[in-house]
Amino acid sequence: MFHLSPLRLGTLALLFAGALFSAFASGYAGLEILTEILILAILVIALDMVAGFGGMVSLCHGALMGAGAYAFAMAGMSLGLPVWAAMLFAVLFTGAVGWIIGAICAGSHGIYFIMVTLAFGQMGYALVFESPFFGGDDGLAGLARPDLSALGIDLNRSRAFALYCLAALVLVALAAAQILRSGLGRALVGIRDNERRMRALGLTVWRTKAHLFGLSGMIAGLAGVLAAQHVMYISPGLMAWTVSGEALVVVILGGLGTFVGPILGAAAFVVLRHEIGALTPYWHLVVGLILIAVVMSRANGLFGFVEGRLARLAARRTAKADAPHREPRDA
Amino acid sequence: MLDVRNLDKSFGAIHVTRDVSFRLDKGERRVILGPNGAGKTTLFNLLAGEIAPDAGRILLDGRDITAAPVAERARLGLARSYQKNTLFDGLTVAENLGLAAAVASGATRSILRDALAAPAVRETVSEVAARLHLTPHLGAQVSAVSYGVRRQLEVGLALATRPRVILLDEPTSGIGPEMAHGFHHMLSSLPRDLTLLIVEHDMDLAFDVADRITVLNYGEVVFDGAPDDARNSALLRDIYLGSWENA
Repeated sequence: MFHLSPLRLGTLALLFAGALFSAFASGYAGLEILTEILILAILVIALDMVAGFGGMVSLCHGALMGAGAYAFAMAGMSLGLPVWAAMLFAVLFTGAVGWIIGAICAGSHGIYFIMVTLAFGQMGYALVFESPFFGGDDGLAGLARPDLSALGIDLNRSRAFALYCLAALVLVALAAAQILRSGLGRALVGIRDNERRMRALGLTVWRTKAHLFGLSGMIAGLAGVLAAQHVMYISPGLMAWTVSGEALVVVILGGLGTFVGPILGAAAFVVLRHEIGALTPYWHLVVGLILIAVVMSRANGLFGFVEGRLARLAARRTAKADAPHREPRDA
Repeated sequence: MLDVRNLDKSFGAIHVTRDVSFRLDKGERRVILGPNGAGKTTLFNLLAGEIAPDAGRILLDGRDITAAPVAERARLGLARSYQKNTLFDGLTVAENLGLAAAVASGATRSILRDALAAPAVRETVSEVAARLHLTPHLGAQVSAVSYGVRRQLEVGLALATRPRVILLDEPTSGIGPEMAHGFHHMLSSLPRDLTLLIVEHDMDLAFDVADRITVLNYGEVVFDGAPDDARNSALLRDIYLGSWENA
């Protein structure tokens, strides 16, 4: 069941403090990296909700993020909606798309679920890649950021935009925690552990899966909106299956179903990409080796490793404290 | 309450359920007996909706539920336990019971409230745990408790949905005589308006608990009557138990 242990809450607080410090202490390059981390963290929270807590390993979350970005762009450019309304439209639209995909995929499991979600993702990619309406291969440029000048905030500045993304991440984390703690979230964990029994208890399993996939889609859509606003340009590459694959790598690297782990994984992944990428173009190999080591250790990611170690340490201490006291033998 | 009419099921050339009919009245406790392979679990799977019959009808309070999905039957008050434990191994005993109670009460539809914290759910968890002597184990993870506790929890999940009819598939299989005796006592202490259909090999339980006994052989009902009549039936002695006279 979902719970925020003191370790998890403490890690979240540390991550938040680190992001806040970085937002005020970094220069332009650092702020760009921070923004990248924050947007990826939102995407992987969405993926962890369904993959980690629901056992639905999705390979279409990159496409959902892309759908959010394109919906935001089209709502502004074609429908003429103001930025905030276009953002809301994009999030709701992606939620609806996610719900439909979740409802259709609900009967599939394991490798079949992965393949069906991959197919949906690739369909979305093909649609935007081939259609001139969506800008085709060239993508769409000139996307706007919200105007907060009334509050004295200029979101065209990197620092303000990074803080805006941090605020979005905090809101998403709070919303995701609420969802996972709610009745719907509890049912999702039940489905992951024993779908047959949940059905026998009276749960309409496909509907629960669809609702969670829809909510996860909304969060992925918001990540897409922020990604579009970040670079003010979108292209079909945002919907490529490799984006979904990378998000999955990040979730596994951080710790599947740990809530905190994927956020940590997002930070580790982006930093590794930039730091090792600056040294060698083969940075993927290094990330690959780390991923293999993490998976082979069976520790459930970086955060799972730390959590497991601390739990074992605590158990050992308790056992030691409970052991009967023995008098030392006389020499 | 539960009306089973001419139920028939084949898997390829194997005819596992042959024209099975019986009726369970409200509050009735019926035990289904039969040798291995008689089609008892298949009959339960048909009643719970996990497999579809080739022919026949199932009515719950006069409502035809033959084509109703598993979840809908459960929501109508038809609960089941499994012969092989089908629990949430990664959760605690309390969370298992809470999840069952939350699904039944509709609390798992909420996106705002924690289903396990709802007062009605907590009350059900306490009540079912007390009835099944699970209270000392509530905080333990299911994978860490003994087989006997898991067997009790298997029944507990069905009870936590506050059903009207419970299908119990060999509830005492694999547990010791002392625990089985406690289980007989627990079943006897259930509210009399709760209808029970039990597949069981334990003769003591069958004769202790049953108002009526149905015997299946090769998927067919070969006996349907009172426990005393079953005990004295020569036909049943021949097909099922040589040692019945000593039961």
